[in-house]
Amino acid sequence: MQEATFLVLTALADGSQHGYAIMAGVREISGGRVRLRAGTLYAALDRLCADGMVRVDREEVVDNRLRRYYRLTPAGSKLLAAEAARLHANAIAALSRLRLAEGMAT
Amino acid sequence: MTDSAELERRYQRLLAWYPATFRLEHGQEILGVLLDSAHEGQQRVAFADAADLIRSALMLRLSPASWAPVTVVRAVRLMRVGCLATIAALITTFVTEASVRAAMTQRATAHQWSLMLVHLTAVEVIAPVTVVGWLWLAQAIGRGRDWARAIFFAYFGVTTLSLIFMLAERAAVYASADLIALAVLWLVQVSVLVLIFSKRSSLYYRPELTSSI
Repeated sequence: MQEATFLVLTALADGSQHGYAIMAGVREISGGRVRLRAGTLYAALDRLCADGMVRVDREEVVDNRLRRYYRLTPAGSKLLAAEAARLHANAIAALSRLRLAEGMAT
Repeated sequence: MTDSAELERRYQRLLAWYPATFRLEHGQEILGVLLDSAHEGQQRVAFADAADLIRSALMLRLSPASWAPVTVVRAVRLMRVGCLATIAALITTFVTEASVRAAMTQRATAHQWSLMLVHLTAVEVIAPVTVVGWLWLAQAIGRGRDWARAIFFAYFGVTTLSLIFMLAERAAVYASADLIALAVLWLVQVSVLVLIFSKRSSLYYRPELTSSI
């Protein structure tokens, strides 16, 4: 899974969000490192909707413009949980090996 | 015209790069997000936003349909590689043209000189057409157009003939580099053909076959 996709799914993990809030969420989650732009975000949302990972929760009109709120589907939550577990396991393995190497060096 | 109206008009011009169906579905939403992200008094579209919109729009236009089988998705990816390889070959030819001409002036025979001119003209004229052709065929193949498979097969035939011709013309100026480039292109085409004529892909191009299997 690409990092941008992971971050979009993570931004939606605690409830439905509209496009601008997802972009702000991604920036916050990544500590300002990843700045998702509108073109990339909507291409990812379109693909995630087609794959059944995300769905439109509700729509509203703000300043005469349509605003959609997106939320994770059960399949999307499952995919995010699996990816988070995989990354977590990798991080733990990396840290334990680094500690082991440091222990051997001292 | 106010700053906001001017900026909106510029964003709308960029959104025109997207496929009509995508624009209909998400155009207003994207515009809203872009305007929300703009700073006070902003009139011009930031370069990074413009590049992102154009890149995303092109990717969407060139991507296979979401229901395309994995064989077609891989074939389209390979076709993009073929397109990039052709662009690389064209750039290399432009960059090295002057030095090759200078070297050839000193030691080439008349036959070699004319071969080089034919070659340079062919690359500089045919390569841009080929780049457009790769992109056009990649889009059509990704969208399940059966005629695109036939045209790609014909293109493969032309490449094969060119390869045979080059193998016969050992004295060509760019012989070894060109031969390798053309052989790589030929291999990419063979791989694409295997993928798009596989059983899985055939059902995508000719869904009526599903009932007869």
